[in-house]
Amino acid sequence: MTTVVPRSDFARDILHVYAIITWATVGIALVVGITLAWALMRFRDRPGAPPPVQTRGHTALEIAWTIAPALVLLVIALPTIQVIFRTQAAPGPGALEITVLGRQWWWEFRYPTLDVVTANELHVPAGRPVALRLDGPDVIHSFWVPQLGGKRDVVPGRRNRLTFTAEIPGEYRGQCAEFCGTSHANMGMRVIVDASDAFERWVAAQKAVPGESAGLAAEGKAIFTRSACVGCHTIRGVSTGALGPDLTTFGSRRTLAAGMLPNTVDVVTAWLKNPPALKPGAKMPPLGLTDDQARAVATYLTSLK
Amino acid sequence: MRAESEPGRTFLGPPSAKAGLEAPATTIKTIIACITTVDHKQVGIFYGATAFVFFLLGGIEALLIRLQLAVPHNTLVSAQTYNALFTMHGTTMVFLAIMPLNAMFFNYMIPLLIGARDVAFPRLNALSYWIFVAGGIFLNASFLVGAPPDVGWFAYANLTSKQYAPGLAVDFWTLSLLILGVSSVIAAVNFIVTILNMRAPGMTLMRMPVFVWMTLVVQFLIVLAFPPITVGLIFLMFDRFFGTHFYDVAAGGDLHLWQHLFWIFGHPEVYILILPAFGIVSEVLPTFARKPLFGAPVVIYSGVLIGFFGFGVWSHHMFAAGMGPVADAAFSIATMLIAIPTGVKIFNWLATLWGGAIRTTTALHFAVGLVGLFTIGGLSGIMHASPPVDLQQTDSYFVVAHLHYVLIGGSLFGLFAGTYYWWPKMTGRLLGERLGRLHFWVLFAGFNMAFFPQHYLGALGMPRRIYTYPPDVGWSRGNFASTVGAFGIAVGVLLFMLNAWKSLRRGATAPADPWDGRTLEWRTPSPPPVHDFDTIPPVYGRDSFWREKYGRPRPGARDTSGTRSDPPSAGAPSARPGHGEFHLPAPSHWPVVIALGMGLAAVGALTHLAMVLAGALLTVSGVFRLALEHHRTPAYVRQTGELGLDHRKVAMWVFLGSECFFFGTLIATYLAYKGRSVVGPEPHQILDIPVTTISTFDLLVSSLLMVLALAAVQRGDRRQARRWLFGTAFCGLIFLGFQVYEFTHFAHRGLTLQQNLFGSTFFVLTGFHGAHVAIGVLWLLSLWILDLRGRLDVADAVKVEIAGLYWHFVDVVWIAIFTLVYLIP
Repeated sequence: MTTVVPRSDFARDILHVYAIITWATVGIALVVGITLAWALMRFRDRPGAPPPVQTRGHTALEIAWTIAPALVLLVIALPTIQVIFRTQAAPGPGALEITVLGRQWWWEFRYPTLDVVTANELHVPAGRPVALRLDGPDVIHSFWVPQLGGKRDVVPGRRNRLTFTAEIPGEYRGQCAEFCGTSHANMGMRVIVDASDAFERWVAAQKAVPGESAGLAAEGKAIFTRSACVGCHTIRGVSTGALGPDLTTFGSRRTLAAGMLPNTVDVVTAWLKNPPALKPGAKMPPLGLTDDQARAVATYLTSLK
Repeated sequence: MRAESEPGRTFLGPPSAKAGLEAPATTIKTIIACITTVDHKQVGIFYGATAFVFFLLGGIEALLIRLQLAVPHNTLVSAQTYNALFTMHGTTMVFLAIMPLNAMFFNYMIPLLIGARDVAFPRLNALSYWIFVAGGIFLNASFLVGAPPDVGWFAYANLTSKQYAPGLAVDFWTLSLLILGVSSVIAAVNFIVTILNMRAPGMTLMRMPVFVWMTLVVQFLIVLAFPPITVGLIFLMFDRFFGTHFYDVAAGGDLHLWQHLFWIFGHPEVYILILPAFGIVSEVLPTFARKPLFGAPVVIYSGVLIGFFGFGVWSHHMFAAGMGPVADAAFSIATMLIAIPTGVKIFNWLATLWGGAIRTTTALHFAVGLVGLFTIGGLSGIMHASPPVDLQQTDSYFVVAHLHYVLIGGSLFGLFAGTYYWWPKMTGRLLGERLGRLHFWVLFAGFNMAFFPQHYLGALGMPRRIYTYPPDVGWSRGNFASTVGAFGIAVGVLLFMLNAWKSLRRGATAPADPWDGRTLEWRTPSPPPVHDFDTIPPVYGRDSFWREKYGRPRPGARDTSGTRSDPPSAGAPSARPGHGEFHLPAPSHWPVVIALGMGLAAVGALTHLAMVLAGALLTVSGVFRLALEHHRTPAYVRQTGELGLDHRKVAMWVFLGSECFFFGTLIATYLAYKGRSVVGPEPHQILDIPVTTISTFDLLVSSLLMVLALAAVQRGDRRQARRWLFGTAFCGLIFLGFQVYEFTHFAHRGLTLQQNLFGSTFFVLTGFHGAHVAIGVLWLLSLWILDLRGRLDVADAVKVEIAGLYWHFVDVVWIAIFTLVYLIP
């Protein structure tokens, strides 16, 4: 989650300004620090010595050290303004539109032009501008994937925008960056930057209706369809709940609970038995499943690729 | 010595050593004396002691935070507890520790530094303190009922709505901040009047010590910055208690409104926190370098500019909020500009040390520490001033590092510098220098270890306000180091407490002037007698005492033997009633009663309406008794300062300044929300302009009657005075009658507080205006009754005048409301 290894145009633009400012501030710190240390060492009181010359001021010096910082700030301000406008420019027509909905405490991602809905793991193509539209039905969150750019708040009622072009395929971590309640610390995400063909494959997999399940997974599906799960979750062809994350391709995600836990059958089983025990305040309640039932449903969900 | 014949004590001639002697103290007498004291020195010490207790509480909260974060996936505290810990840590440190610790020095030192004997309104001073105590206790009482606030110290809407924060926690937070705001604003008015009106003859504004200047700027910041957050808190309270829609997105509300209102307060607040420390450093460095403050006028102007521009940068806290590139750029430039006067101060401090004869006392250590550490904090602040960079840094541990460098490295180190500097004056004893230096170095080392790594943690992507983190993101080592450092800070604080205890038990006695000081407080014994100065000191220029000691006093003003002396260059002869005679303010129990009433009302807001009414009744009657306590005391009749202005008039003008911002915020919100209601009725469908024109005219007439009333009082015509006072109040009642009619009529037609955004903004705006009118009516009727009883004469004209100022102001506000709400479609 480093902020200083950029992997998008947005992050790179930021780092450019970051570097200028860092050098400027380090320089000023050295000037002040050295002057301070020097003064403290050189101008000590000696017993019996008369009071020093009672200098009251020096106009030229005052002017000089007013103008000098102003010049340094100018050096900082110019690239700052440039980058502000460049990074907030409207995305071009070729950008991939994605709606990001921040919810307590997970992320919903909708691709309106691709008819794809997923959660907590965002796939974007490398080399193509991505235009995020941020909104949310509950409280203020903040979308932050440091290697792909700065953060932008998700403010209910205001459709904020974040645009970037990811450069290098890979997996990048993100986290909510505006305190949003009990499990704010657990509202992470993964962004997978795919090469364009890998991205096409991913989109196709998202849109496919899941096939038939077998064995334990089929048992799990049966439990799923007759439990409260269907009231909150959507699995294409199975259920249409809209309160919780879309689970159609749950098994293809590397983490669950918004980047919090690894997506394995064991972990999912524990989650299903008692979500708030793993994620404080989670709005998904314990469902009263037995160990076997939970394992069956976990097998089913992790099979959904 | 006419001690018993009237309230307060009046002395003739230089008091003898026995002047302060009273009957032997018992426990009850001591408690009563504490509860009723109005002596600025005692109130100052109370502020300091109480604030220090809250500081320790906030420190424990911090240590728990750091313990939880010491290792990844820690389970020391639950998520909920952690969220309450960081909320209470921030709120406590800002409002209950740093601000009142600053107030300790304002209270104790300002009168001494300007050569006065107390503040302008000693009972209001005590009132500010007791209201602060009520607010602090109320906030922490939330722990006792298991509902500590847990929404962060800036409590963004709509996480604070009833829907997402259903319990009492947010109500505790909102109500205590409202209470604490009242305390701060009352104190601010008091200090502004004191500094403007009570300076010793010869002390022009530019001859005032820089600490006094910084204090003056801070008080103006408080007066103007607290109204916006008061309004924001009122909106939050109304949303939660009465179903309004200020922060309701579905009804058309904008969540940025809270952020703007909070930060319009919040940014000046950080200057409120740091400028006193800047002032302290501006006293300490010259004293221990034995040189004047370099460029003192420039340092003063910089402070004023910082205060002024501090109101123009607030949205740099909102760079990630999506305000758009133009707003981002504008606030970025404004923020960078404000760095210039700050830098200028730092350079002037360096130049003060340069060429000096530096004595490395503990006070100097802390002052130098501030210069170094605040430079680091200020530089990370410059990084934040650039929105692109800030989009990575804000809401991460980078900004946590920044804010602690300026608040601990700045404010706290400044407070410790002031403590070591002024402790001898306040206690008559010296703090140990060796233990003091140990305190400094342990604190310095611990602080840097706690917070420097947090810059890296932020750069590595660690968000703030997270109760835990995973082991595979590289944050573990930095967090562990930071925790170790935090305990270093704790040890440093303990060392200070040890030093303080040892000093009070058996520290070396301090002379009047232990540091060879430059300013007037060193001219009186340590600690000062209850009346501060035997005679008001002569003022020879800036660094007046230094000039007196080392030469270059003004010609003819030689006398330092303690008898009366008047610097000939003081201009007009002193208006004070003789230097040999002065009045000591009498103790009063009404401040504590009023504060109790406010606390009771707050508790009632969370429990039972009857308690709200009881508390309100107690508060209102306490206010009346306080106002009338010295109505007939001769010494209180004339309260005019060196500028020839009555204290009470200056106070009213300052208060009206805060009221401008209060109503300005309400009106601005109304205008910002215009047209955003999702359902009707809409203004043009329901506002009755003809009828409201009549009530407006009625209010204008009332102002005319008020003018006549004042003229009558001033010429001693009691009959006319009664007629016009009653007439004004009567017109006010008519206006209120119109308003009641309007409100009920609107309710019948479907417009209520809860109906839509228009209902919320309209009723809150006009309702608060109406409440101001009602208070004015009560005030005028009280004056009328006083006159009926023969207790209002020419000497009381100033009381009628300030009621008139208030009344005219309320009228002017109505004209603005009538124009902007009713007339403009």
